[in-house]
Amino acid sequence: MIVRDTLGAAALAAALLVPPPAAAADAARGASLAAPCAACHGADGNSTTPLVPSLAGQPPVFLTLQMVLFREGIRAVPAMNAAMEGITDRDVEDLAAHYAALPPHTDPPHADQPERDAAKAARGAALSVQHRCGVCHLPGYTGQNQMPRLAGQREDFLLHTMQDYQAQRRTGTDTTMNAALYGLSGQDLADLAHYLAIQR
Amino acid sequence: MPPTPSMRRAFCAALFVSMAAPALAQAPVPAWAQGREGSGMAPNLAPHAPRLTVTPPDQVPVDKLRVPAGFKVELWAHGAPGARMMAVGDRGTVFVGSRVIGRVYAITDEGGQRRVRTIAQGLTQPNGIAFKDGALTVIAINRVLRWEGIEGKLDSPGAPVEMTAAFGLPTEEHHGWKFASFGPDGRLYTNVGVPCNVCEFDRDRFALLVSFNADGSGRRIEARGIRNSVGFDFHPVTRELWATNNGRDWAGNDVPEDTLHRVRRAGEDHGFPFCVGTWPDPAVPARACSEFEQPAAMLGPHTAALGMRFYRGNGFGAAYENQIFIARRGSWNRETKSGFDVVVAKLDAQGRVTAVEPFLTGFLDANAGTFHGRPVDLQQMPDGSLLVADEQMGAIYRISRQ
Repeated sequence: MIVRDTLGAAALAAALLVPPPAAAADAARGASLAAPCAACHGADGNSTTPLVPSLAGQPPVFLTLQMVLFREGIRAVPAMNAAMEGITDRDVEDLAAHYAALPPHTDPPHADQPERDAAKAARGAALSVQHRCGVCHLPGYTGQNQMPRLAGQREDFLLHTMQDYQAQRRTGTDTTMNAALYGLSGQDLADLAHYLAIQR
Repeated sequence: MPPTPSMRRAFCAALFVSMAAPALAQAPVPAWAQGREGSGMAPNLAPHAPRLTVTPPDQVPVDKLRVPAGFKVELWAHGAPGARMMAVGDRGTVFVGSRVIGRVYAITDEGGQRRVRTIAQGLTQPNGIAFKDGALTVIAINRVLRWEGIEGKLDSPGAPVEMTAAFGLPTEEHHGWKFASFGPDGRLYTNVGVPCNVCEFDRDRFALLVSFNADGSGRRIEARGIRNSVGFDFHPVTRELWATNNGRDWAGNDVPEDTLHRVRRAGEDHGFPFCVGTWPDPAVPARACSEFEQPAAMLGPHTAALGMRFYRGNGFGAAYENQIFIARRGSWNRETKSGFDVVVAKLDAQGRVTAVEPFLTGFLDANAGTFHGRPVDLQQMPDGSLLVADEQMGAIYRISRQ
């Protein structure tokens, strides 16, 4: 078990006596912290690394929550647990503001993405309506609050993530996604991943 | 919206009827799809995002909060993201559990300032927090842990005693977070929520209030048919167990209501999934609601009535002695937000609830449809003041008489 002060006693006392200015997340500062992230997530936040997600254009609340869950060891991805170890809340919020402000790629998406498959995309589109993905992730799949942007995400990462939710290897900030994917076949997940990855 | 095939499937399964797709009707229905038919509710309702980073004190909107004349409310502690259920140690330490962030906090008063320590991290929704005989018991979804002599080692609590196997609680994540409290009989009480919105389930395993000997032996069902209780306490005089309960989602904006339950005898059936009071749930087979114990009070639709505590003694005046303070975290599954406050259930001499009155308000901006906090639990301090945990702000407020 790890023990530490959330805030040192002195810092807390000072904070109570002299409230700091309202801390608005600082995207420019976040950019200066993002250099180590670029190797995997892409210099512009659009990943060209297999199974590593693009972060550009993600909702800042989603990014913030996931970084905290990595830091706390609640979401287990060893590379990210290590990268986020000991990160401050301020750094988390500034990094989130930075990536949220970056534009997600438009066509062509990624050189190593699979070819477009019209039949797969059509099946994925029908599944998305049936399972109401656009209710929480919004009709354009741009995401909101704790719910990520799906449009243009790497297809391999989308499939991997849905498989993890379905197998209960991952939960979000609630269990909605585990339930939403209940009963879908492997082919269904692949069709959905393809359809969502080619949205813009 | 016309029903989709998956919605029809959910409907069939919810009715326990096999119609067009017998194989599918055998399978559990996705929780999000259960019992959604016919309510007419906006389909885009979704849980509110939590905040898991520190909210600076100047952003905690304590100035918006309102209490009755003669009381005041102040910010007592902050910097405890996701703060939920509280327990008070013998030396005055306030232990605070959480859900998503997986932490347990210990808050102490040092020279009039509060110090927040994180004493455990990485747990799966450690919402159950109970203190007795110097020991802190924490119930996470999949674990029961106990730190003996915790207040003497807050800076280095060390490894807890692992009591998970002794208690043998279900580990389902959906509604699997626990509330915990030691009763006046020395037993450890907790809840077992139902792992769905509304569904068929084993009524001896889920939707229960249960108690155990402190070592995890001697499980006893205190009440069944209670869908998801995340708050209970024992009447200071009668020692009866009283509990809040969360009604199900997607049945309508105004049905069912969250409820307050009085448990007169161990083992009583309070009706879930069949009835909430006199309301028979159309998603399940019909049973006469008169078969079941009736709620002591209705607490409003989708208000998320969670932590509740009897106020002991006359520190708040005679009007509040042995009355129940209830934190209502606030709705998500309702087109117009409800809850986001602390109410008082007023009891008469026979233990009948005569009124449910607002006590702490101001978290909700009804016109804008926005909220400034989510109260989840209460604790009475030795000096008679009342602490309120705000999960959204990671803050603890203190209410006292002026």
